[in-house]
Amino acid sequence: MERKKILLTEDEIPRQWYNVLADIKMNPPLGPDGKPVNPEALAPVFPMNLIEQEVSSERWIDIPEEVLRVYNIWRPSPLVRALSLEKALGTPAKIYFKNESVSPPGSHKPNTAVPQAYYNKVFGIKKITTETGAGQWGSALAFACAQFGIECKVFMVRISFDQKPYRKSMMAAWGSNCIASPSTETRAGRQALEKDPDTPGSLGIAISEAIEAAVTDETGQTRYSLGSVLNHVLLHQTIIGLEAKKQLEKVGEYPDVIIGCAGGGSNFAGLTLPFVHDKINGKEIKIYPVEPSACPTLTRAPFVYDHGDSAGYTPLIPMHSLGHNFMPAPIHAGGLRYHGMAPIVSQLANEGIIEAKSVTQLEAYKAGVVFARTEGIIPAPETNHALACVINEANKAKEEGKEKVILFNLSGHGLLDLAAYDKYFSGEMKDFILSDEELIKSEEVFADYPKPASLKSR
Amino acid sequence: MDNSKDNLERRCPRLGGPVSFQYCRTHGDNMLLPCWKIFDCWWEHFDISAFLKQNMPEDDFIKLVNAKPKPKVSSLIELIEQAKKRNI
Repeated sequence: MERKKILLTEDEIPRQWYNVLADIKMNPPLGPDGKPVNPEALAPVFPMNLIEQEVSSERWIDIPEEVLRVYNIWRPSPLVRALSLEKALGTPAKIYFKNESVSPPGSHKPNTAVPQAYYNKVFGIKKITTETGAGQWGSALAFACAQFGIECKVFMVRISFDQKPYRKSMMAAWGSNCIASPSTETRAGRQALEKDPDTPGSLGIAISEAIEAAVTDETGQTRYSLGSVLNHVLLHQTIIGLEAKKQLEKVGEYPDVIIGCAGGGSNFAGLTLPFVHDKINGKEIKIYPVEPSACPTLTRAPFVYDHGDSAGYTPLIPMHSLGHNFMPAPIHAGGLRYHGMAPIVSQLANEGIIEAKSVTQLEAYKAGVVFARTEGIIPAPETNHALACVINEANKAKEEGKEKVILFNLSGHGLLDLAAYDKYFSGEMKDFILSDEELIKSEEVFADYPKPASLKSR
Repeated sequence: MDNSKDNLERRCPRLGGPVSFQYCRTHGDNMLLPCWKIFDCWWEHFDISAFLKQNMPEDDFIKLVNAKPKPKVSSLIELIEQAKKRNI
């Protein structure tokens, strides 16, 4: 029988995270005055030890023993050979996936929630606040805070709070206080309720409430936590790729292609950054972040300094952007406005170290269903984008007759997100791809903007 | 306001659950404009750009077209300042 799972023992878990900022050059975020933003401005919401990690350029950062103790609840996560998927596709490729759905909350999110809770605890913080939309991040932080005896308050957007009772039940089981936002506990919440007592809320209000609850605690013992985009979040997620490298070594393999879905970039970066380190040092390897084809920021947008708003009040940050003054043709409006990719992932794409791919939503769900029917796990909707790319690569290997090794990140399961599958099964989804003409037009807006230096890390 | 599309539903990629078009139209982050992702999410269903152009004040429509989420670090700093001001 062929080997299905490659496991590490608890004492084989990596003891350090990999910090890619030691190996790449980054343009800093700029303030309205054109000067780099001072990270210490984040001190009211993050403990200083996490802010230090946010700006650290040390290549290897020790994982504290207390964090490893909690990681051991589900880590090292299995590396699984997708033998049934390979067989169904008839591909000579070997497909491996890192199964991050085995964490207690069901996704990769606790990889950073746990160290964030730990560093807050060490800094003397007694309470952490956050916001959550779907509840995935809120439940990961609730789990983490329970492990360190920290009080956790989660502001969950009212509409989701009502739609997803099981997420708040999960948080309650871990001892966290998940309340509907807007709430009466903050001025931001009360102001929203005064305008409309029956409002279903929004992520913007929930974030404002979570930040306000942290900033206004006069004891100074409350901080805020964020589960995506920031450098320290990506750092913590590298445990995924570091484990995967060790596991592949055990079976004498090394990936030819690595694939992850890229929303904010944290699960993609978590798997791939340790391999980016190898690529910078000469390894031949293809690394693909996958995003929906309706939102092609990495695949097709230029790398520029861009504002967060059209008025130009907010800092300029180097990123892949399609511009803010471009008026798309009506049918093409979708996909031209996506923003928010982690700056590290944008920089790697700009350098050509990673090569972004996009898939349509129909391809994504089709792939998710194929995976569920072969490997048995129902993937999270965002994970399906990675899976579609995996299947494309496996089919390409079949056409070329090459025995490639493909590695991807199964970032989470979809058991609490089945409504999306219902839409797919009911045939309500349609596909669309952008035109070249509109993308070229979108670049005109950057003519008078400062240009990020074309930094190369190798 | 044309309310004929308010009952249409789709999965919100930010909230991870079904929302009506009315929600997207009325519950942007600042509660004044539609959600900044409304174009991304609804172009597959109907001509959302033409719809909003016809059903919003011109200034608001231009603001919405130009709106984008801020880079996370600057957005956090802005929210910290706003929270402090609210509680002076």
